[in-house]
Amino acid sequence: MIPGLVLILLWQGAGELVSHFFLPHIPGPVVGLVLLLCFLSVRDRVPDSMALVSDAFSQHLGLLFVPAATGVILFLPQLRQHALAVIVALLASVLLTVAVTALVLKLVGPGGEGE
Amino acid sequence: MNKRLPIQEIWVYLSGSPLLALILTLAAYQIGYALYMRSQRNPLVNPVAIAVLLVAVCLEALDMPYAKYFEGAQFVHFLLGTATVSLAIPIYRGLNGLRGRVFPLLLALVAGGLTSILSAVGIAHWLGADHAIVGAMVSKSVTAPIAMGIAERLGYSPTLTAVFAVITGILGAMLASFVLDGLGLKVWWQRGFAIGVAAHGLGTSRAFSVHPEAGTYASLAMGLHGILGAVAIPLLAGYIPTF
Repeated sequence: MIPGLVLILLWQGAGELVSHFFLPHIPGPVVGLVLLLCFLSVRDRVPDSMALVSDAFSQHLGLLFVPAATGVILFLPQLRQHALAVIVALLASVLLTVAVTALVLKLVGPGGEGE
Repeated sequence: MNKRLPIQEIWVYLSGSPLLALILTLAAYQIGYALYMRSQRNPLVNPVAIAVLLVAVCLEALDMPYAKYFEGAQFVHFLLGTATVSLAIPIYRGLNGLRGRVFPLLLALVAGGLTSILSAVGIAHWLGADHAIVGAMVSKSVTAPIAMGIAERLGYSPTLTAVFAVITGILGAMLASFVLDGLGLKVWWQRGFAIGVAAHGLGTSRAFSVHPEAGTYASLAMGLHGILGAVAIPLLAGYIPTF
C-alpha cells in the first residue's frame, strides 16, 4: 500500500507544480489526476499497491468531506435566512441532474447487459 | 487547591493539538458508517450527514470554534486532493470497458452538468437567495476539492461551495436510487454514471457500496465531471448570470 501512496502523492505534487506554473486555472489535483491517467495508460496496468490505496479512498471518500462540510455551522444564519431557496435549489437540482443524465443514457446509450 | 486544574490542563493540551479534531472527525464518521451498515445500507442513513451533525453538536458543546477544529481536521481534508488524484485508477479501469459508450457518456455528462448548474442557479435566484449563495451553487455538482478550487477562482466562498457540494452529494446518495428506479433504469453502469455526474464523491461511495460496476462508472463520471468542470465552468462563468 505504501509504494502506491507514495506514487499517488508524487503525481499530486507534479500536478500542483504544473498547475502553479503552467495551468493556473485548473486545480492541482485535477492536473495530477490527468497526469496519473497518462502514466497508467503508458504502463498499461494499475500497480497493485496503487489499486489498494484507490479502493480505500473510494470506499470512504465520505470521511474526507466531513471537515469541509462541518463549515456549514459558519453559515447557519445566512442559510436559515434563505433556507427555502437553498433547500429547493439543491434538492431539485440534484434530482433533475440524475434524471437528465439517466434519460440521456437511456435514449442514446447502447443497451446494457442488464442487472 | 483547585481540583479542576489538572483536568483543565489536560483539556488545554488536548485542544491545542490536532488530535482532538482528528478523533472527533474519525469517531463521528465511524458512528455514521456503523449506523449505515446496521441499516442494511439504507441510502437515507447517510454516514457523512450523521458525522457532520455529530461533529457540529460536539463543537457546540465544547465551545470550540470551527477555525480551531479545522486546524486539526485539515489533515483529513488535505487527503481530498490525494483522493482526487487517485480517481485516475477507477477512470483508467472504466476506460478499458468503454467500447461504444464514449459518445453517450460524454453527451450525458454535458447534459447533466449543465442541468445541475442552470437548475441550481436558476431556482436559488428565483426564490430570492443572495449573490453569495447563488454563486456558491455554480460548481456544487463537481467533487468538493475541485468545486472549492473553481469557486475560489470565480470569487465565491469555497467553504459555502463545499457545503453545497456535500449537501448535493448527500441528497444524491440518498435519493438517486429512487429517481433511477422511477425512470426504470436497470443497467448498473448507467445508474452509476448518473449518480456520479449528479452527486460526485458521496454518490460514488454509495454506488460502490451497492455494486462495483456502478461504482466504477460513478467514479468515471465524477472524475470526468471534475475535469470538465475545472476547464469549462471558469470559461462559462461569464455567461452564467448569478445576479
